[in-house]
Amino acid sequence: MHIPDGFLSPAIAIITFAVTIVFWMISFRKVKNNLDESQVPIMGLLTALFFAAQMMNYPIVGGTTAHLLGSASLGIILGPFAGCISMTIILVLQCLLFGDGGITALGSNALNMGIIGVFTPALSLMVLSKVSKSKGLFLVWVFIAAFLGDVLGAIAAGVELGLSVPTFQYGLSIAVPAMAINHSVIGVIEGVVTVVLIATLLELRPDVLSKSPVLKNILSPHDANQSKT
Amino acid sequence: MCLFITKNNNSTIQKLNRRTVVTGLVLAALFVIVGNLVFSYALETLDIQAELLELTGENLLTAPFPEYIIPGLEENVWASILLGIAATFAIFAVTLLVARLLRKRE
Repeated sequence: MHIPDGFLSPAIAIITFAVTIVFWMISFRKVKNNLDESQVPIMGLLTALFFAAQMMNYPIVGGTTAHLLGSASLGIILGPFAGCISMTIILVLQCLLFGDGGITALGSNALNMGIIGVFTPALSLMVLSKVSKSKGLFLVWVFIAAFLGDVLGAIAAGVELGLSVPTFQYGLSIAVPAMAINHSVIGVIEGVVTVVLIATLLELRPDVLSKSPVLKNILSPHDANQSKT
Repeated sequence: MCLFITKNNNSTIQKLNRRTVVTGLVLAALFVIVGNLVFSYALETLDIQAELLELTGENLLTAPFPEYIIPGLEENVWASILLGIAATFAIFAVTLLVARLLRKRE
């Protein structure tokens, strides 16, 4: 899903950069002086973990492959603003060190994976949890939230490419369905991975989840503070 | 008493974090190894569409390790694995640095 240089029209590249810069500024402002000391190593760890997870390419439909984003886990566990910063660090280093994603498309890649991919799961989980606070449904909501984050991020990439008609000549009618269909498969895997990670943390490190700006209001104090150690 | 509990909790959290971080970094290194040995073949939807449109997708900046490979060691998968692990640790360090700068100060 990393868009290289030369795929986006200059107008789309500039607009996506502008939107992304606004989100970066808001995220840094929100996280500054709000990030708990105990979240610092977890933020480093999750960022490194999902950078590594992005190196695994899974075969999906029609001989194509896709990789996990990790945006959903970052957004839900760290909160959308810290998650956005984590994803940005991954995308910047991938772009500068490995040429994975172009420098002119960095705004677009950050918008799709670091903003839409991070904020959608966080916000949809908060909304879904208000629909039903059932403990049994919690992990179902996590799955749906992670799936939505992946698919909406891919649809956004399709829209940006589809609107970049002079360079990417397919248009919206081809680019959007192609990205959405293929990424809905990896969205299912993203959903499963997010559920497994959150269920594991809920069992072994509920204290980590209790610091999450997204989960602290969803999980009961009993779930959040109970630790097996 | 209260101070003792706070100190005790902090040290428990630090210990737990250390163990979690070590486990997580080992898992990340495993992801890199599996990613290079098993799931290395990449052909994304974008690649196919670009190929049909004859778009080269060449980046403006020359990356030091294009395609996650050390130049000159393209055939050596273990060199790519080492590079991946080093990059994972570098990302961990950079994020720690950023998070430490942003963290809440008592």
